[in-house]
Amino acid sequence: MNQHIFIVGNSFQVKSLAESLLNKKHPITIINNDMEFCKELSQIDNMTIVFGDGDKRYVLEDADIGKCDIMIAMTDNDADNLVTCLMAKKIFNVKKTISLVSDVKKTAFFYQMGIDSVVCTTSAITTIIEQQAIMDELATMIPIGEGRVRITKVKVSEDSPIVNKALFDIALPAQSIIACILRGQSSIIPRGSTKILADDMLLLVASIEDEIAAIELITGKSYD
Amino acid sequence: MIKRNTNKLTIIAGCGRLGAELANSISEANGDVIIIDNNKDSLRRLSFSFGGIAIVKDGTDIDVLKQANIEKAHTVIAVTDDENTNIMIALMAKKLFHVKNVILRVNDNSKQALYNDTDIQILCPSELTTKAVKKMIEGGK
Repeated sequence: MNQHIFIVGNSFQVKSLAESLLNKKHPITIINNDMEFCKELSQIDNMTIVFGDGDKRYVLEDADIGKCDIMIAMTDNDADNLVTCLMAKKIFNVKKTISLVSDVKKTAFFYQMGIDSVVCTTSAITTIIEQQAIMDELATMIPIGEGRVRITKVKVSEDSPIVNKALFDIALPAQSIIACILRGQSSIIPRGSTKILADDMLLLVASIEDEIAAIELITGKSYD
Repeated sequence: MIKRNTNKLTIIAGCGRLGAELANSISEANGDVIIIDNNKDSLRRLSFSFGGIAIVKDGTDIDVLKQANIEKAHTVIAVTDDENTNIMIALMAKKLFHVKNVILRVNDNSKQALYNDTDIQILCPSELTTKAVKKMIEGGK
């Protein structure tokens, strides 16, 4: 389904996001209040560019917001993002709103106000840095569900305590599962009887509370 | 006899002309007032005898609002110079902290859907001024 996506935001991130969404064939409308940037964007095919502030009613109307399926507010001002999303939702009945937030403490409040997805870049980055600093076997961490659940890639080294063990013999903490095993070129969705081998890359899905314990079990190291 | 409202705390976000005047007048009437503005020069608008507390911080920061005792505040007045900031502070005060009286200054009513379902009280200077001018015109006839 090609959802019509509206993006209100500051120049650099908006351009790269728009281009990647265009590649997936979504109709895109960008609202931006920098005339030079708007002119630059209007050179790209298949994008509608509207000059103005995304939190003004008449600008949203001019931009034909009735067509909007997803509103993405990604300016560097949290209040502007909040208001843009709330206007989209409450006045124009836009189904999905996504907001960037720079102050991580506002995340819960944004969700409470009805924003569908809240992305806090600073906290995503600091969490990754914290994780990288602690665990060198880790590759990436993706937070989902308001950051309460995380997907992490964990490499199984030769001296891991779970090498050659079947999944049902591994006592993972309650709020964690190994969702997928990347082995060489293949990806395996494991069953209880699936054995873990050295050099496997595990996709661990875990709650924040149980994540570290699960990783410690897999790597055999303890992290504080 | 000067009555002291020790129970009623007013928090004002924004020390512009209006914010400062409100703060001064509440302080003069011996009310408890805390005013927040992230620009220290704005606080110069406060009167010499201002007896409340002035905080130079970001009034949209949840920690700052908690430090200002917003959980016990009776009234929160959002009168910074940015309408969206005022809306965000008013919504935080009402929905996060359940403050009884929340007053919000907006430029016009184009965003009223955002707060219509609450009992946030609205100050719209252009609307108030228009009404006042109409009265003056009619009064002059």
